Amino acid sequence: MVSLTINGKVVRAEEGEYLLAVIRRMGIDVPALCDHAAVEPYGGCRLCMVEITKESWDGWKNYVTACLYPAEQDLIVNTHSEKVIELRTSLLDLFLARNPETPLIQKLAADHGLTKTSFEVVPEPNDCILCGICTRVCDEMGFAAISMVNRGHGREVAPPLNEAPPDCVGCLACAQACPTNYIKFEDIGTTRKIWGREFELLTCEKTGRPTITREFAAFLSKHRDIPEEYFKVNDEAHRDELASTMGRITRWSVQEETK
Amino acid sequence: MRIESEKQLRDYRKKLADADKKLTKKIMVCHGPGCLASGAEKVSEEFEKQLKRKKITGVTVGSIKKTGCHSFCEKSPLVAIEPAQILYTRVKVKDVAEIIEKSIKGDEIIERLVYHDPHSNDAIPKYPDIPFYKHQTRIALRNLGKINACDIDDYIRVGGYEAAAKALLKMTPEGVIDEVTKANLRGRGGGGFPAGRKWKSCRAVESDVRYVVCNGDEGDPGAFMDRAIMEGDPHTVLEGMIIAAFAVGAKDGYIYVREEYPLAVVNLQKAIEQAEAIGLLGDNILGTDFSLHLHINRGAGAFVCGESSALMLSVAGNVGEPRAKYIRSVVKGLWDKPTVLNNVETYANVPMIIANGADWFTSVGAPKNAGTKAFSLVGKVRHTGLIEVPMGTPLRTIIYDIGGGILKDRPFKAVQTGGPSGGCLAEQHLDLSVDFDTLTKHGSMMGSGGMIVMDDRTCMVDVAKYFLSFLVSESCGKCIPCREGLYQLHKLAIAISEGRAQESDIEKMEHLSEMVVTGSLCGLGKSGPNPFLSTIANFRDEYLTHIRDHKCSAGVCKELIKYEIDAEKCDGCMACIAACAFNAISGKKTKPHVIDQELCTKCGACVAACTREAIMVL
Amino acid sequence: MKHDLSRVPEIIERYPQQPSSLIMVLQDIQKEFSYLPCEALEQTAAKLGVPLSKVFSVSTFYNAFSLNKKGDTVVRVCIGTACHIRGARQIQEQLETALKIQAGETTKDGKFTLEVVGCVGACAMAPVVLTNDRYHPQCKVNTVKKLVAKR
Repeated sequence: MVSLTINGKVVRAEEGEYLLAVIRRMGIDVPALCDHAAVEPYGGCRLCMVEITKESWDGWKNYVTACLYPAEQDLIVNTHSEKVIELRTSLLDLFLARNPETPLIQKLAADHGLTKTSFEVVPEPNDCILCGICTRVCDEMGFAAISMVNRGHGREVAPPLNEAPPDCVGCLACAQACPTNYIKFEDIGTTRKIWGREFELLTCEKTGRPTITREFAAFLSKHRDIPEEYFKVNDEAHRDELASTMGRITRWSVQEETK
Repeated sequence: MRIESEKQLRDYRKKLADADKKLTKKIMVCHGPGCLASGAEKVSEEFEKQLKRKKITGVTVGSIKKTGCHSFCEKSPLVAIEPAQILYTRVKVKDVAEIIEKSIKGDEIIERLVYHDPHSNDAIPKYPDIPFYKHQTRIALRNLGKINACDIDDYIRVGGYEAAAKALLKMTPEGVIDEVTKANLRGRGGGGFPAGRKWKSCRAVESDVRYVVCNGDEGDPGAFMDRAIMEGDPHTVLEGMIIAAFAVGAKDGYIYVREEYPLAVVNLQKAIEQAEAIGLLGDNILGTDFSLHLHINRGAGAFVCGESSALMLSVAGNVGEPRAKYIRSVVKGLWDKPTVLNNVETYANVPMIIANGADWFTSVGAPKNAGTKAFSLVGKVRHTGLIEVPMGTPLRTIIYDIGGGILKDRPFKAVQTGGPSGGCLAEQHLDLSVDFDTLTKHGSMMGSGGMIVMDDRTCMVDVAKYFLSFLVSESCGKCIPCREGLYQLHKLAIAISEGRAQESDIEKMEHLSEMVVTGSLCGLGKSGPNPFLSTIANFRDEYLTHIRDHKCSAGVCKELIKYEIDAEKCDGCMACIAACAFNAISGKKTKPHVIDQELCTKCGACVAACTREAIMVL
Repeated sequence: MKHDLSRVPEIIERYPQQPSSLIMVLQDIQKEFSYLPCEALEQTAAKLGVPLSKVFSVSTFYNAFSLNKKGDTVVRVCIGTACHIRGARQIQEQLETALKIQAGETTKDGKFTLEVVGCVGACAMAPVVLTNDRYHPQCKVNTVKKLVAKR
């Protein structure tokens, strides 16, 4: 364990634990758009920049992303210094030039006193903030069906060769994790459409409602040791069954006790 | 044959030196980048062809050395005659017979082929007397022009692999690190981080595997020092890496070469094979327990891969996206193992430090900036080429004495160092000494060693726009400040160059630059605004002229200039009319011509075609 | 245009069949076909055990790779700093006018591709143009179009 100071309060943290986790544990709100619980920190959006120093640094300060900087003994962190706020505001000004109509960005920018970017809006703006959460989540799931392509300003999230991605199983993890709902999908009846592909959804034997895609079920049973039978019913039905089972058990144990 | 002791190496060298002494004359044909581009290969072929036919005592085909860069590229193709130290410039195939007849068979000097002082027009036949060479000190480039580029025997003959033998057979790894630390060898790739400290930290990390990596991804536009070394003296790179690997305890090493340098790949590969064949590389080097295997990785065209974490990801076959450097690569580098990364020129210095000692090395250069630095001296300077000077040499000496001043004696405006991460220094900086700390203090940086000289016809707004455009296309795009920030800076620079900007835009750019410097993930982004920041610091008036007066005084920014023909100077030769692809020029023979501003695209073809400098760019 | 892709497996097998060989394999494929055919990318992904999406990322990240077929002659204008201040942009514009394409494009007849390149390391000979691998040092604005004259 190490002890460090964050916004004037001394806190303890695991050595090597990332600052962002410690900061959040304290209930301090620091924006972080490329951070996601399911994946490793990335350091792309730079919004979680904080000011760090140490008494031994002779007044020298550094600006680091809290998501990637490990907690250190005697570190003094300021999450909302004037310079930090200025940095975040400038960053959001740039985000606004790229994603002018994106509610999440508009909200954050407004919190920092910005309603309109001071820069030229990029040609054909969209809602993708290039945080890379979707591609990293997809990697983490074990599919790596989509990825970041091109570099620099032309960067975008795309399936390979810009065609329907062969490795996609329609699990929706990417769309679910996308902070701006940029990734679109459609479930109509037992058909799911995403990334230009169509998947057949399995149907719950009990409720008659769709569960997950056939491909995803096959993957989970093959690679994650979940029996395929599990997916023959949907979560709702699972819950019903569980509730009634739990009820039976509870009733039974009460009876036993009264005996 | 394998060389397995110091004595064997010494004996072998003596044998090679004795054989070499039998050659009474040597013809050193430069096969450096500039000379090859100007047809050097045909010249050396012609020498071979003719020498095969002629019988001259003491001269054989072996007398022809296809050497690395002779460095006076402006005069390429270059041929030096040794041991007389005569340098022939702009040698053509048709000159070969005369050179053989007069300077090889005889001892005559062909005056029309030697260098002439641009001012006095005096002939200076011997290269040590030419000002371009006189002020140089060569350590890293020591063998360029002196030995066959790709011949381990020639390298051993001039003392090659002796330093490796000394390190492996007579020193401990710690001893090697101490020597390099004492020599204060600072990284020649740009940052100037002490190599010895890097090696020490890497060795200190507990690990079963460590790597040495050579950064040959010379991405800075306007720089070709590392190219010249890799192509012209590949063995010095290998020897430096062997010593480094021994010091840190690495068994594998990677050389990352940029894809634009195919010859460097070929020559390094040959050098590796040659060294492995005689036991100077591979398993049990020089008969010791120490083994090192070197591998070459070709870059695939990404400036950002010069950044250490991106380079290592690229070696592993990935996209070169830098990662946060809170954990250093000496601890967690290539494949997450402790890794020492140095650039080509740094490694090229290592054998000399081990062979001659740290005290010798620190006796050259300036305080805290030991040794020399190689530069590619290019741009609007009279004598372009590859140079190596002691650290601390004043800029003025480099540009005026070595470089021979500005092209066409125009006024000096600026010199750009450090590549896209560096900056522009102005007239008032000409007496600064060139070393890591001084350049950084004045808003530029050493970088890998590009030194681009600019005259009054270079627009500083255009230069800033140029570098920003370069960086926008080379940014990996991972982090916002670099991807979006540099993009917006570039947009604003375009607006200024087109006369569409307001004065407040300068402030906006300064503010944004500060954020990009602080907020970017890697060095590329953090230093990205430098070309703007250093030009605005030194040439603010030029920006203001663009904004307020809609004028580009250097005559570069297309939207703000026009071409006109000076009727006094025009003799009506019609050359410009023929050159213009847009039919924008009209006029009759012997009568002054006129440019139609509506049709003129300011393409510059007429200016290049005019022999009387009658076309004015206003 | 269809290519004989039968050589692709042999190219892939030049290197260890592992993910770290990806860039080298793609370089050799690029060299062989002057672009990266889709099928070759699929085979590379399968053989080296790299997801196709990652192969696509790498193919679009590095300048050396192209997903479109290039012309018979690739004309590359060096726009390194030394070339830039000695007039590389005007050289580029001349070639664009002469070939009636922009940098990055290929002529309709497939004869020429015009590209710009960061720096080819021949800075002392600026401005430089390359036609395929041949260097043309110290190019002049009024004569450079001869390099692309129809032969």
